[in-house]
Amino acid sequence: MAHQAHAYHMVDPSPWPLTGAIAALLMTSGLAIWFHFHSTVLMTLGLILLLLTMYQWWRDIIREGTFQGHHTPPVQKGLRYGMILFITSEVFFFLGFFWAFYHSSLAPTPELGGCWPPTGITPLDPFEVPLLNTAVLLASGVTVTWAHHSIMEGERKQAIQSLTLTILLGLYFTALQATEYYEAPFTIADGVYGSTFFVATGFHGLHVIIGSTFLAVCLLRQVQYHFTSEHHFGFEAAAWYWHFVDVVWLFLYVSIYWWGS
Amino acid sequence: MFPHFLTLQQVSRRQISSTVRRQLVNKVPDKQKLFQEANGMPVHLKGGVSDAVLYRATMGLTVLGTAYVIYELVKAALPQKKG
Repeated sequence: MAHQAHAYHMVDPSPWPLTGAIAALLMTSGLAIWFHFHSTVLMTLGLILLLLTMYQWWRDIIREGTFQGHHTPPVQKGLRYGMILFITSEVFFFLGFFWAFYHSSLAPTPELGGCWPPTGITPLDPFEVPLLNTAVLLASGVTVTWAHHSIMEGERKQAIQSLTLTILLGLYFTALQATEYYEAPFTIADGVYGSTFFVATGFHGLHVIIGSTFLAVCLLRQVQYHFTSEHHFGFEAAAWYWHFVDVVWLFLYVSIYWWGS
Repeated sequence: MFPHFLTLQQVSRRQISSTVRRQLVNKVPDKQKLFQEANGMPVHLKGGVSDAVLYRATMGLTVLGTAYVIYELVKAALPQKKG
């Protein structure tokens, strides 16, 4: 029986990179087909394939790490680098939208009335729901840190409670933002103000949903005894992502909601 | 009154934790045994029949989707003139 003489992980052949690539092809082509020929079949098929790929790919990673023991310290180090690099790429993604916002708002054109907010736009009061949203996300940063310490100290019940609270706060933020979107006196079509506002906050909201989902998966895993007090990188990755989402909101709040009003 | 209140707290806590213990037993050692079995199966099929079913469904959709997207793109690239 052959055993490896190194601490690295030589993964089993997997079909998920292929199915994921095809999913991306179907979603992008499907988008074009939807725009031009009004059919959503291709795009929907791509979305289903993407969800199937994500579920099975990440399920396999959990099997490889928690059940097969492949996530040795050097392997875990690689996973940490990977998550940090991914979050860094997301920082640059948001940087673009902040660039667009500051480009338009620092030197507002005559077409906007030479002022920011532009003529005719009633911005949201930054000290109403947006301030509550800020408090909600900051509180969730505290509860996720509480969850981490609970896991490290072997406090199973507290970990479950604090992780659940974090997710609930994330869902509360999403619900509040949804009502704000519904009640807003301006739309995405209202010039560059509407574009920058809804694209930046919209992508942020999507990341809150992604982060909440990641944390929910961690909650399921914590309940099922996957995490040990020494080894729980999946949770750490989710916590890093969550802090990133929180920081992006703080920049959004200060720049677009507060300074931009 | 105070001692009675504390006793009630302790009782309810004991009842809740015993319910939790009954429902959520640690199955990780069983999973570890299953996925470390030397049967040559790749990790994406090693869980059993449901793995194979899900894999076949996913691959089926992948193949069908590939064929469909090529069809739609060819159709979009060669417009049929009316009349």
